[in-house]
Amino acid sequence: MVPYDARVSSSISWILAASGAGVLAGLGLVVRGLAGYRTALLVADTSTSTIASAAAGEVRISGVIEPAELTLVSLLQSTPCVYYRASVGNGGDASIPDSSYAEERSVGFAVRDSTGSLRVFPRGARVDAPLRFHDETGLAGDEPLGLTIRTGPATQTAEVDRATAIADLLTVHDPRTSTGLPAWQGLRRQSGRREYRETRLEPGDAVTIVGRALPFRDLDDPAGADLGMGGSDVQADPEIAADMAEARAAGTLADDPDAAWGNAAIPGFGIGRPVTSPIIDPAANPLPLATADAAAATKRRFEIAPDSLVLAASAEVPLLIAYGTPTAVVGRDQARFVAGLFGAGLAIASALILAFSVSGGFGA
Amino acid sequence: MSPPALAALFAVALVIAIAAYVVFASYNAIVALRQRIDKAWANIDVVLKQRHDQLPNLVAAVRGLMTFERDVLTQVTEARAAYSPTAPIPDQAVTSDVTSSAVRSLFAVVERYPDLKSQANVQDLQAEIERLEAMIADRRELYNDQVYRYNTAIGQVPGVLLASILGWTTRQFFAAEPADAARPDTSLGAT
Repeated sequence: MVPYDARVSSSISWILAASGAGVLAGLGLVVRGLAGYRTALLVADTSTSTIASAAAGEVRISGVIEPAELTLVSLLQSTPCVYYRASVGNGGDASIPDSSYAEERSVGFAVRDSTGSLRVFPRGARVDAPLRFHDETGLAGDEPLGLTIRTGPATQTAEVDRATAIADLLTVHDPRTSTGLPAWQGLRRQSGRREYRETRLEPGDAVTIVGRALPFRDLDDPAGADLGMGGSDVQADPEIAADMAEARAAGTLADDPDAAWGNAAIPGFGIGRPVTSPIIDPAANPLPLATADAAAATKRRFEIAPDSLVLAASAEVPLLIAYGTPTAVVGRDQARFVAGLFGAGLAIASALILAFSVSGGFGA
Repeated sequence: MSPPALAALFAVALVIAIAAYVVFASYNAIVALRQRIDKAWANIDVVLKQRHDQLPNLVAAVRGLMTFERDVLTQVTEARAAYSPTAPIPDQAVTSDVTSSAVRSLFAVVERYPDLKSQANVQDLQAEIERLEAMIADRRELYNDQVYRYNTAIGQVPGVLLASILGWTTRQFFAAEPADAARPDTSLGAT
């Protein structure tokens, strides 16, 4: 009869769990590293074109982000940007398993180098953005410094007028109030820790873009290509669904976009041409006409000549938007590949330990 | 099969998978590089052709008033006549350089004729040819950079192995050969 030792059994269980986790983590690093290798090859093997001499087809452009018509307001820090991915996790706290939330948005922007600027349509792009905010709630449940959750719309005009800028500067937000916050912030009502992460690309950031340049007239869906949305399905969140049902019952949420947005809900009203005639309200006060200078400035900003080259994703050439100069991007992806090789070593070592544990090599 | 044998098999399979991925990714990258070089060359060719088509208009516009500058006009006409889209790339580079030089000389001479310089069609042609010259310079730089990357890729591991198997050879730069690029004789004849 073999005597049972609970301590040995416990340590073997621990080894099995750790080695299994090591195999999975190692394989994860391998997959990430191989993707980095491919990206490094793509960026390193494509020469940078100046914007003035760029030709239609696959190009690599390196320049600085300039806002186009709109900028986004990031979710966790309310910072003007052209791309963000924000996530709220449970920070390893298993007591709140359903609290993870992720949101990803991008909006069209221009990239400028010393020879000119080029419009970028980000839908379908793979974005490699830097982590700008990463923090957790404190042990006492206090929110981290720097967390300024967006309370208004997700977009704003790229050029903020003077009065709005002054009003923003003079407005003091009380972090303790929660009225008017987005529905997803029901997370805050839960106990337990939360981990906040936000990656962003902001106006003024240096970026490297590899993608297909094509004349604007050849872009199938300019309005759709100008926006990118991803992340968690907001409608699928039970808490948000409950809040929306409550708002609908109270009559504060319209069922129909036309009812909520009026003429602005007509497809093409913002960019391109409306598909139906807008309804003019005779009782509305007509806005004063724009001055010639204001009209010219607006035309410069919003009008894209049909023959102008723009950058967009296509089935043949995916669009990559990466933060930093080409050298920095390649260096980052090569580092991922090296980490992937270490991951392979980790996976192999863990697999061997797992195998010896299962076959009774340890503690038998 | 025992667990340690399975683990060893897993290790071998993982190493082979990574090596195969690296080789296939490198192969695809080099094929893409070759395509980019061809495309970069085609983009240069388009602009060379545009310049070739514009030069007669410029010569015709200035010929009437430039009665004492026939040599410059002859240089431009001869350089244009030497253009051959089927010639080897280094030869085309020489022709392009000679044409650019002749055009610059012509523009310098035009500066001496205020009546000519003020004509709208001459100004437009001059601006268009200057734009094309700048574009040729930019695209030449892009082409040469792409060739440099390709030649480097097939000279390094694993590209060198693939190149030896598949018979890939280095590509030519869009640049004059050293003999062709020798400085012109600017002495006044006295030795």
